[in-house]
Amino acid sequence: MPSRAVAEDLGRAADGDQAAWDRLVDRFAPLIWAVCRRHRLSDADCEDVGSTVWLRLVERLGTIREPAALPGWLATTTRHECLQLMRARSRQVLTGEDDGAADPEAVTPEEWLLEQERGILLRSAFEDLGERCRRLLALLFADPPTPYAEVSATLGMPVGAIGPTRRRCLAALREHPSLSELAGSV
Amino acid sequence: MNDDDRLLAELGEAVRAAGAVPEGFRRAGRAAFAWRTVDAELAELVESDASTGVRAAPARRTFRLAAGPLTVEVELSPDALAGQAVEGRLAGIELEEQDGTARAAAVDELGWFLFVPGPAGRFRLRLRPAGGAVVVSPWTRP
Repeated sequence: MPSRAVAEDLGRAADGDQAAWDRLVDRFAPLIWAVCRRHRLSDADCEDVGSTVWLRLVERLGTIREPAALPGWLATTTRHECLQLMRARSRQVLTGEDDGAADPEAVTPEEWLLEQERGILLRSAFEDLGERCRRLLALLFADPPTPYAEVSATLGMPVGAIGPTRRRCLAALREHPSLSELAGSV
Repeated sequence: MNDDDRLLAELGEAVRAAGAVPEGFRRAGRAAFAWRTVDAELAELVESDASTGVRAAPARRTFRLAAGPLTVEVELSPDALAGQAVEGRLAGIELEEQDGTARAAAVDELGWFLFVPGPAGRFRLRLRPAGGAVVVSPWTRP
């Protein structure tokens, strides 16, 4: 869903719409999770940090109006909570706000956040594709990729049609409004 | 590798990254909505010594809550949460915990209050300024 829909969901959630909130959770959960994992926290610690970050977002629902700012805010807030948790666990004496030994990253790389934002937009556009395209692309981007013979058998699609259909589906993906927000070529 | 190959690869990574998120993580996110407060201003929480420097007494944490004319100093020790309104007048205060329980404490004429025992886990404070609207603190860990 493009930014306009995110802004709408933020407003709806602020007004008490659980379904709107759930869409926001689905959209941004991978970003929050990725920040936690980048700090090398365990799954359990990531869940703990995640709980706090969601509460922070709920607390501020009425005040966040700009969807473009949300990924950055979530990344910063998650990083802050990761550091808090790491400090609480550490038996070391901390000499300042950012102790090098306890802090695996001095700064959230702009590029990393941009990659995360691209991922959010790609997933959003993918969800809006027709079922046939989604099924085909999923088989093709599987790791390792599904052999064409198997794709053909699974989807009931002639092997010769796979290439052209792949091209058409990726073109449809590129044309999605979400992807027009991406900087640089897609 | 052409543009289509690159796009497909990037899409695959993005979808797999979302798949790596445990369902419990998303569930917790959805559940957080239950803590939405309607018509309550959020106070600003400022740490005194928890985030920086050496903790002389690791079991003690102090912070300050500010909202409008009200400023409240809070001190957490292993057995209690105590505090005082240092600016403005506090008519009442409640300690709310994540299990849904809430306890009220009396506020004396100097603005002092005390909760014994303190919070067991993540908590927030609900402040009732004299003659003003309810203010809630952000959720925080002891």
